[in-house]
Amino acid sequence: MANTIEIENLTYHKNYRRILENINLQIEQGKTVGLLGENGAGKTTLMRLIAGVAKGAHGTVKIDGEDQVAAKKAEVSFSGQLDGFNPSMRIDKIIRFYEDVYPDFSTDRYNQIAGFLQIDEGLRLSALSKGMKEKLVIGLTLSRDTKVYLLDEPFGGIDSMSRKKIIQSIIKWKSPDSVIVVSDHYVSEIASILDEVVIIKDKTIYTKKSAEEIRAQYAEGIEQYYESIYEGNDLND
Amino acid sequence: MKFDDKIPIYYQIKNYIYGQIITGKLTPGEKIPAVRQLAIDLTVNVNTVQRALGELISEGILESRRGLGNFVTEDQATIEEMKHKLIMERLHEMYENLHDLNVTDDEIVQYLRQYIKDRRTTKDGQYN
Repeated sequence: MANTIEIENLTYHKNYRRILENINLQIEQGKTVGLLGENGAGKTTLMRLIAGVAKGAHGTVKIDGEDQVAAKKAEVSFSGQLDGFNPSMRIDKIIRFYEDVYPDFSTDRYNQIAGFLQIDEGLRLSALSKGMKEKLVIGLTLSRDTKVYLLDEPFGGIDSMSRKKIIQSIIKWKSPDSVIVVSDHYVSEIASILDEVVIIKDKTIYTKKSAEEIRAQYAEGIEQYYESIYEGNDLND
Repeated sequence: MKFDDKIPIYYQIKNYIYGQIITGKLTPGEKIPAVRQLAIDLTVNVNTVQRALGELISEGILESRRGLGNFVTEDQATIEEMKHKLIMERLHEMYENLHDLNVTDDEIVQYLRQYIKDRRTTKDGQYN
């Protein structure tokens, strides 16, 4: 199957500090991928590079064979943490903004997801609880029609019901051909929806493995496997 | 349903559907939910559901009808065979576990008889 994301020899420095080193990664069309690594491992930076938001890296990032920034922005949906928006902005205004800026944004689809997640649009960004903000990010991100969706730690500090709803909406609104990359530092909550697991460690891709293969080969949960890599237990075998 | 993260999920989905058929929650000829709906209901990846259903189709447990969806087989012999296979698998597992504890064949039979007897006399089959 064709690769939707192709990263070759990607290195990124910021203020003379190495953030990511020699990243090589291929993600096939249609996959749901968990991007795992501890805080500060470079998960968000890698997403920003895939989305074409962060600049100044060496190496190539191709989305569906294209490596131009404009092409990447058109085919990658990434909302980050809505950092660019004024905290006093109302949610409905943010939605209008998405409609104006992204020709592929579907208001219809947004309304479906917002209804499912029960997003309250009358509020201002600063008034949103952590869970509600994450739901909004999911709604906005998944409402674009792109080849790649990036979700940066969508489960941080939110209750289990919201978490479940968010996971369900990922399954429900993911188109069969699109790639979804979900980053997290805590794995068990998303393990069951992943095709593949990509682990970032020591500023580079430590491994990429099929989730079912980890279960079949090691008789281990994804969480255990991930922890063993960070604890270095795998050095002994 | 809750999955064990140590066991391949497609395998657990297959067992789940076997169980549904054996216990009659899914009846012969019944249409099973669409792949995406099953994925949402079970909170698992669509590709994983597809793999599980693909194997069930090649085993003859499900029949795929083009454009209509997937249906539980109406062939009673296939269902019986699946049930038999599943029972043998469970017995095999129990047998191996007990053998690992150096329990002999005769003792296994004896323990099993005693266990069933105790189960029956315990109220509502509760056994702790």
